[in-house]
Amino acid sequence: MDADVLIVGAGPAGLACALHLSQLIRKHNQAGGKPELSTENIYVLEKGREIGAHQLSGAIMDPVAMRELVPDFEKAPPFDTPVSSDAFYFFTGKRAWKSPVTPPPFHNHGNYIVSLNKLVKWMGGLVEKEGVNLFTQFAGANLIYENGGIAGVITEDKGVDKNGKPKDNYTPGYELRAKVTVLAEGPRGSLTKQLVIKYKLDGINPQTYGIGIKELWEVPAGRIEPGWVAHSLGWPLPLDIYGGGWIYGLKDNRVSLGMVSALEYRDPLFDPHMAFQQYKTHPFVRRILEGGKMVRYGAKTVPYGGWYSRPQSSVSGGLIIGDSGSLLNSQRLKGIHTAIKSGMLAAETIFDALRAGDTSAEKLSAYPKKVESSWIKKELWAVRNFHQGFQHGFFRGMFSTAMQQISGGRGFVDPARAKPGYEEYRKLNRGPELVDQSGRFKGDGTLTFDRLTDVFHSGTRHEEDQPCHLVVLEPDICGNRCVREYGNPCQYFCPAAVYEMVKEKNVARLKINASNCVHCKTCDIADPYQIINWIPPEGGGGPNYEGM
Amino acid sequence: MKILAITEQREGKWNKTSFETLAAAQQIAKDVGGTLAALVIGKSVAGLADELAGKSISEVLLVEHELLGAYTPDGYSLALKQAIAQTTPDLVVLPHTYEVRDFAPKLATSLAKGMIGDCIGYRHENGRLIFVRQMFQGKTAADVSFVGAGPWFATFQAGAFRADLVAAHPSGKAAVRKIDVELKPEQIRTKPGELFREAKQAVDLTQAPIIVAVGRGIKAPENIPLAEKLAKAIGGEIAASRPICDEGWLPMERQIGSSGQTVAPKLYLALGISGAIQHVVGMKGSRTIVAINKDQNAPIFEVADYGIVADIFEIIPALTEELEKSKAS
Repeated sequence: MDADVLIVGAGPAGLACALHLSQLIRKHNQAGGKPELSTENIYVLEKGREIGAHQLSGAIMDPVAMRELVPDFEKAPPFDTPVSSDAFYFFTGKRAWKSPVTPPPFHNHGNYIVSLNKLVKWMGGLVEKEGVNLFTQFAGANLIYENGGIAGVITEDKGVDKNGKPKDNYTPGYELRAKVTVLAEGPRGSLTKQLVIKYKLDGINPQTYGIGIKELWEVPAGRIEPGWVAHSLGWPLPLDIYGGGWIYGLKDNRVSLGMVSALEYRDPLFDPHMAFQQYKTHPFVRRILEGGKMVRYGAKTVPYGGWYSRPQSSVSGGLIIGDSGSLLNSQRLKGIHTAIKSGMLAAETIFDALRAGDTSAEKLSAYPKKVESSWIKKELWAVRNFHQGFQHGFFRGMFSTAMQQISGGRGFVDPARAKPGYEEYRKLNRGPELVDQSGRFKGDGTLTFDRLTDVFHSGTRHEEDQPCHLVVLEPDICGNRCVREYGNPCQYFCPAAVYEMVKEKNVARLKINASNCVHCKTCDIADPYQIINWIPPEGGGGPNYEGM
Repeated sequence: MKILAITEQREGKWNKTSFETLAAAQQIAKDVGGTLAALVIGKSVAGLADELAGKSISEVLLVEHELLGAYTPDGYSLALKQAIAQTTPDLVVLPHTYEVRDFAPKLATSLAKGMIGDCIGYRHENGRLIFVRQMFQGKTAADVSFVGAGPWFATFQAGAFRADLVAAHPSGKAAVRKIDVELKPEQIRTKPGELFREAKQAVDLTQAPIIVAVGRGIKAPENIPLAEKLAKAIGGEIAASRPICDEGWLPMERQIGSSGQTVAPKLYLALGISGAIQHVVGMKGSRTIVAINKDQNAPIFEVADYGIVADIFEIIPALTEELEKSKAS
């Protein structure tokens, strides 16, 4: 089955690409353009059960890109509510200090609080109306490499049992070939990872990430105004961890709250999920939530690296867009608008390439050039050294930021270098005994929760009888080396209790509860030995972020 | 166009989808104005050939051989290759059964011809036959056609055509032609074993009045028989929480919870189950829940009617013994 365009991932970037390309094709055909193109030859693959199922973000959206894509989108708003006020706090254990001025990156007037799930579902509807083929419950398992570039993907095999044997419903993966394959997989895309390694497409800096953990709450009426936005730094995160919390007031007494922590901390036993649970016990947060009910949970990584971490984003027959292409603004913690814009720029590039019948590396290199001359570059360039400053702690980060502010983003060193977060772990040099897990955070069951309870609220489901999709390349390391050197951080960084060290007959081994996986990709990123490879499970598996 | 429909039988009994394929073949023959022959293959299947002769076809081809008694991919593909060579059909249609899936690709390949498998329909357009097959689990239908000279092979999905629409022969019976094929025992490399019957029906835990479920507290697979003994003594089914089935200590069909079965027995005995919400949603409707767990803070006690804070390895044998005693007396 051959397509003109195959887009992997139905998030804001992938769907913006499909939608904008459809709009261009429609105009082209109406004007009698030759060769005639068809939106039916645009395919979108999405591993989630339905469009939007795996979409998770805070989220505040800068509407600039959506206005370009769907000029009248504010008439039939797929967002929750406009931001009405924003405030910035510094938390200590007991108090919340309100900053007298909200720092400019956190000015959100004119922006919208959105449910990324709803926004993306709405975009999916528009794309479907254009005649594009959306294939949900299909993941890209492998790329088809050709001519120094890519020529499509092979979808995952379905109906394979735990031991890799075909079951009754076995269906081998489809080979989907396309003139242009667009990787829009979000942070740490599994195909993007393959492609970047294969052709050495790394940017100047390695990608660095944060993990965002979110809960959606229903609270008693009057606790929070719709459109009320608060961001906080400080407690419970130690000062060497870059991150902070958010609380957004939504319509119908709903609250979105969460916490982002950079995956570059020193203590290998730091538990981002527990930090977020503690955050909710702060008097300031507790006051809002008390008497309410947690309705949904999720976790997802965020690419922080910015401009200097962008991989080379075009090859023969292939483009990388959105978070996969490191286009998030880590200072504003916003990437929906840049994802949409990058999808549109990719669409324009592909449209030209299809008309010319030329999808070579040279032709498609128009896409990174378009990004360079768009407002994406302008926005990301100003903060190109921002996140690197924080790899050396909070205060140096603030100081670097101040310097960058007055030098147009340059700061002390430009480009400031970054190193991968997993290199930051301090070695524990402990004995061979497993770290005792009996004292792990359990939560009180009303305000705070353990990880399994939270995972339940993520709606995560997988076919149980399938090969483990978390491939540990050297399993011996876990029980022999990692336990001594780092105390098995996978048991701590995973927000879904997937990883567990067990001891049987005096042999320590890693037990993987793969069906808990919420597809956040933290393990692939944060494992100190880089031996965990996240590959897509059977399509349709994963969380269900309805309303998130 | 000469069309050949290959039917399937086992031990002298029809595979019913054979007639669906025959119905499809009759329609195709009518649409394209071709002739249709039907073929039956096996050992001592003349009776079936006679039955086929009553249908609206031009002739029945009977392929019989000693070595065709039990199905083997070698035997079937070699015999059918000879039958096809002798009758030169342009299109060969088959039902998309397990057997056909096994031998038809081999047969088509041995003739260097194409095969379109698992079709749900066909169209006759501008003198061309187009077959329709599903892709992406039925999300789209693809039109596929043949290029080059026949014989072409196509298989039809079960249920794609209606067997009751097979037309009877308009004037009595079609002729039965015996096709001689040569097969040597050494050509058949597979040795058919016992016929594999349907897998044992998965246990239906939802019907069990008493369930004895084990969790992580059971610690090792060697301890499972302890719980099984108790289940037997109390007359219940054994079940487990996800980690136990995930480890393969019990089969997956015995898993209770959000990713397993949901049950509501009269008595649910939870042994060493902490009571994560994923498990509780699958059993909280039970009439009476008895939980045994070392950890007095285990959430299972929140849903339990009776709770014992104790080591399951003390309680299980004692309970089993008491139950056996009371049964004996």
